[in-house]
Parts: sequence; C-alpha cells; structure tokens
Amino acid sequence: MILPLATVTAGDFFQQMELGITVGAMYALIALGYTLVYGIIELINFAHGDVFMWGSVITYFIASSLGLKSTLTGFALVGVIVFFLIIGVGFCAALNVTIERVAYRRLRKAPRLAPLISAIGVSFILQTLARLWRGAGGESFPQIFPTTSFSLGAVNISFRDIFIILLSVGLMYGLDTFIRRTKLGRAMRATAQDPEAASLMGVNINQTISITFLIGGALAGAAAVIWNLYVGQVKFDIGFEQGLIAFTAAVLGGIGNVRGAVIGGFLIGIIQALTILYIHNGSSWLDVAVFSILVLILVFRPSGLLGQQVPDKV
Amino acid sequence: MSIRSMLKLPGQWLAQLGEQLDHIQIARRPFTWYLQGWRGGILLLLFAFLIPSMVSSFGDSFGLDQSFVLTLVTMGIYIILALGLNIVVGYAGLLDLGYVAFYVIGAYTMAVLSSGVISDANGHAHAFRQTPFWWLLPLGALLAGLFGVLLGAPTLRLRGDYLAIVTLGFGEIVPIVFNNLPYFGSVGGATATRPDPVSLPFGITFDFSSFLDYSPYYYLMLILLALVVLLVTSLRESSLGRAWVAIREDETAAAASGVNLVRTKLLAFGMGASIAGLAGVLSAATITHIEPGSFSFSISITVLVMIVLGGISSIPGVIVGAAALAFYDQFLSNRLNETLHSYSFVTSPDSPFHFLNSLDLNQAKLLFFGIILLAMILLRPQGLIPDVRRKRELTGIGEAPEELSVVGALEQEHGGATGSDINAHMTEYTGPGSDARGRED
Repeated sequence: MILPLATVTAGDFFQQMELGITVGAMYALIALGYTLVYGIIELINFAHGDVFMWGSVITYFIASSLGLKSTLTGFALVGVIVFFLIIGVGFCAALNVTIERVAYRRLRKAPRLAPLISAIGVSFILQTLARLWRGAGGESFPQIFPTTSFSLGAVNISFRDIFIILLSVGLMYGLDTFIRRTKLGRAMRATAQDPEAASLMGVNINQTISITFLIGGALAGAAAVIWNLYVGQVKFDIGFEQGLIAFTAAVLGGIGNVRGAVIGGFLIGIIQALTILYIHNGSSWLDVAVFSILVLILVFRPSGLLGQQVPDKV
Repeated sequence: MSIRSMLKLPGQWLAQLGEQLDHIQIARRPFTWYLQGWRGGILLLLFAFLIPSMVSSFGDSFGLDQSFVLTLVTMGIYIILALGLNIVVGYAGLLDLGYVAFYVIGAYTMAVLSSGVISDANGHAHAFRQTPFWWLLPLGALLAGLFGVLLGAPTLRLRGDYLAIVTLGFGEIVPIVFNNLPYFGSVGGATATRPDPVSLPFGITFDFSSFLDYSPYYYLMLILLALVVLLVTSLRESSLGRAWVAIREDETAAAASGVNLVRTKLLAFGMGASIAGLAGVLSAATITHIEPGSFSFSISITVLVMIVLGGISSIPGVIVGAAALAFYDQFLSNRLNETLHSYSFVTSPDSPFHFLNSLDLNQAKLLFFGIILLAMILLRPQGLIPDVRRKRELTGIGEAPEELSVVGALEQEHGGATGSDINAHMTEYTGPGSDARGRED
C-alpha cells in the first residue's frame, strides 16, 4: 500500500483520542438533526449541514461586528459564549423551521424523490448565498477561548475541550429526556411510528414536525458555535463537508435512532482522529475514510448499530 | 384589462402565430409535418451540422468566434450527461448525486491512456504505450459502467435515500482520490493526447490537432449525442425500460410481477454511469488538460437541475433543459456579467446601484440553479416539457377514480383486514414460487 503506518506512542494515542471525542461531540449534535428529521418524515434533510454552516457564519458575523479579537476570561467569556449560543441556536432553529415550511411541507405526499430534490435545492441556495455574502475564501473565528490546559499523564486536556464535551453531552441528555418524558416528545415518537394514527389520537402533525425541525436546527446551531470555538474556520462549504460526516454518523448509529446518532458521532470522531494518527498523510484521506465506513455499514449492517430493520410499507 | 389577462397575451399571440404557420405548405404537406417525430430529428441534426460553418462565416458580426464552437461542444457534453443521468433518475427513479464521479473516471481514462504517462509513487513520470482515442471511447464507458455497478451493488438493495447519499460521497471522494494519489498527476492533473486525424472518402479530413478549430470535436460530439439519443429512446421502449418504470412506480408490485429488482436497478445505474464515462472521454479529448479540482459536486447538481427543469424522464425535455442551462452556464452568465459590469451606474462609486459591482454573476449562477430546482419541484414537478406518464405520478392528475380501484374497494369492505392477512401469508409461505421478492433480499 502507499499508506505506510506511522509509529505511535501511547501518549499520542490518548491525545488523539481526546481530539476525536471532542470533534465527535460536535458530529453527534449535527447527526441528531439528521436522525430526528429522518425518524419523523423519512427525509434526508440535505440542507441540514448548510443550516449548521449558516449558524457558524452568523455567529462569526456577530463576533466580527462586536470587534472580538483576543481571548476572554471569567464572566466576559461566559457571557459571550452564552450570547453566541442564543444567537446560533435561535437562528438555526428558525431557519430549519422555515425550510420545512417552504420546501418540504407541500411535498409530504409526493413521491420520495421530490422532497429529496427540494432539499438539495435548498442546500444549494443556502450555500451560494453564504458564498456571495462572505466570499469563497473563508474566514477564521477569533480565538476567544483561552488555551489553558491541564495534563493527565501524557495527555494535554484543554478547558475548552472539557467545556465542549460537557455542553454537548448536556444537550444530548436534555434531548433524550425531552423525547422520553414530555408530552411533545411522546407526540414526536407517535408521529414517527404512524402519522395517521397519531393524528387520529389528537396529535397535531404539522406542529410536531415543526418542533422536530426546531430541535434539529437548535442542535445544529449549538454545533456551529462549538465549531467556531474549536476549529474556527468559517466557510460556505463547511456545511456540506461536516454534514456528510454527520450523516454517516447518523447512519452508523442507525438512522432514526437518537441514541444511535450520539454513539455514531463519537465513533466517527474517534475514527477520524485515528486515521490522522495511523495513516501517513492521513488528514487528506479523512473523507475517504468516512465514506468507506458509510459503504461498509450499508453493506453489512444497513440498520446501523442501534437501529431496527424496518420493512417497507406497502 | 387585468394584469392576469395581459399575461396571457403572449401565449395567445403564439397560438395565433402557430395557426398562421399551419397554413404554410411545403410539397403539399403542412410544414409542421416535417417537424414531427424522426423527421424533426433529422432536420435538427442537419441544422446542427451546419452550425460550425455558420459560425465561421457570419460569427464575427455577432461577436462569436471559434470559442463559441467549444461552448457548443461543452453544451453537447452536458446534454449527453443529462440523458445518461435521466436513465438513472428519470427511468428508474433512483437519485444519483455523485454522477460527476463517472464523468471523472471517463476523463481520466482518456487522459492517462491516450497520453501514455503515469507517475510512480514519488511523482516521477513514466511513459508507456499510448492508446488510440477510438479505443478509449468504449473503454472509458466500460470502466465507468464497471465502477457504477461496483458502487451500486451494495447500495441498491437498500432504499433510494441511501443510494443518494452513497453516490454523493462517491462523487466527492473520486476527485479526492485522483488528487491524493501520485500516479495520475495528483493536484496538477493529467493531459490527454488529442485524437489522430481521421480521413474520410472525398477528401474530407477531421484534424483534431488544432486549437483554433474545434469543429471536428463538434461533429464528433454530434455523432455521439445522436447515438446516445437513439440508445435512450430505444431503451425506453424496451422491456428493460418498462421494468425500470415499474420499479419507479412501485417497487414491491414490480418485484411481485417478476422483475428482478437488483439486476434491473444495477443495469440502470451501470448504463447511466457508462454514458457519463463516454462524456468524460469526449470532454478530456476536447479540453485536453484535466484537473481533479474542476470536477465538483456542483456538476452533479447542475446535471440534476437540467433534468428537473426539462422534465424528469422526458427525452425532449431533458435535451432542452440541458441545452438551456448549459448555454447559460457556459456562455450567457459570463456575457451577462460583463454587460452588468460595463454599465456606468454599476461601476461608478456614486451610483446607488454601486453595490451590484461586487456581485459576480458567475458565482450567483449556482444560486440560480438552486432556485430553479426548488421552484420546479414545488410548482411544476413534471418539468417544462413533461413526460405524460411521469406527470401523472408527480402531480396525481389523471389518476384512476377512487371507485375503480379494486384494492381500495376490498379494503373498505373488510375494514383494512385484507392488508394484514396478505402480509401474514407472505411471511408464512416459503415454498417454491414464493421467492419473487425473496431472491433479491
């Protein structure tokens, strides 16, 4: 093979695992949006990645208008991050709900191809608008989070990564509780199982689907803020790239399954990190690695890790 | 006069004009007779054959030079691509979002094998035997088709959405692989050797070597395009074509009627891929130098927009849609951009319209394509020139009235119990003859 394996120490391995888990948390948040929407209306929401990208662009725009350049500490840092989260989450949630209203709702009874094509159209529109507004070159988000870290053995763990993982896991736990415990969550599960029966039982289908898109968009917004803090590269095509990765994560976990998407996200993050570690020039093969995983899952276990095989409805 | 009736005026005028034109007779037949069916095709082909000489004779007065012929060749390549994708998306109803991958494979087949240059792991070029262009046309198609079958085989057992995402990923990584691997020139790309001149009787020669005269490529494109049109038209009427339509309309019913799902889908996928390979070979021969960076996802989507605009699975629709969008993409958008930036109310900084100066219409064309895609699928899913059968599927107009449906009547009588009874029998019965569906799973 042309890909010689690099020699790796245990320290390198755990350091890279830490990176993988942090990135994986972000993938999991995006993957949840795909899986929620697929679970309820069986549509691959192609525009989801671009909703995430717009969250990143909007928060960047706000940050640059505020003139943020240097690292912040204490209350200023907390305040700014909470502010960004509100902006990103709110914007992405609103955008996702609007997209459902404009582009998918009318096509709910159409052949399966129609909403999929519509989603691609929306994705293209969102991407090109961002490109026209911000240019094709990409911008970097100011590093507002201090780079302080502590070491655990040979591994350096930054407080930023701790914050990212805590935030993501908190959101995921909240979502899981919401779906299992609340009335709206039960309505979502009912609609996912059988929309007609659910509506006969008094579930407002349109509202439930809107809420699903709202939650998916909100999580994408949070992921966008994390992306800005962690990677910081704001560009019109990040939604496409990260979206494809997150979708793979959703399929890996079993599309339509909320916990599966979380596990899939972390797994994909770790697999990517290890690709960089073990394969020579691995970072240029990342997409290939992710895609190979996608094909392998679809061949050997199309229902994913936690999903169930659902027969086609006749 | 209301605005609504004013909007109808151009249509009325066209209709009146059409009535007037119907009275024109050529050799005792109305002239429209000559435009119908295969006669129209031959006339169109004749007209198309004359275009390069028309460009070289009167092109100057319209500001058109030989590069316009190159534009026409590119348009033709897009039409071939759209007709190929139409087999997959239109006939068989499978969404392929990585169609560009097969185009890339065709183009690289041409570039690497015609030039006979391959690099080793360190990027040093080595020469080997050059392959003549005329062998590469079928070879490129074959290779692309092979990759199509290889990619389709694992995914076609699954639901259509998965195929969309897997093809999307494949379309992304094929250019990355060519970009990363050292063998095919990596980032810098590969350069094809132009086809040898062809001598026909009566002293006609096609010399492919000139960069100033693209008309040989144009004629080559025209021949390939005509062959592809013949192929897709006859495929549509064949038993295979009917099997595709059956799968598209109802997979379960098609399988129950004895259609082998996987084989039929694979054939659609492979044939679509090989047509893209053919287009890739032609493209690499025309532009000679290809780079992995120029084959992006946007090509796959542009071809999809062409199909949706013209009319999914309608051959004239796809041709018109592809021609129109490719013309906009390759020619009009650039001209419009130049025109926009030549107006003083745009360029002068004092003008209120100065903000338009930063607008690059060439970048905005993808926005335009996205809007077309969305608007068509929401407002006119059957496309501009619809296919009759597909229109019925997509809009639900002209469907059989409810009371004629036997299954519906049965279900109403038995309160829906029939459906579950049938399902129970299907899972229980595993004896001979029961594997019409099971064979594929």
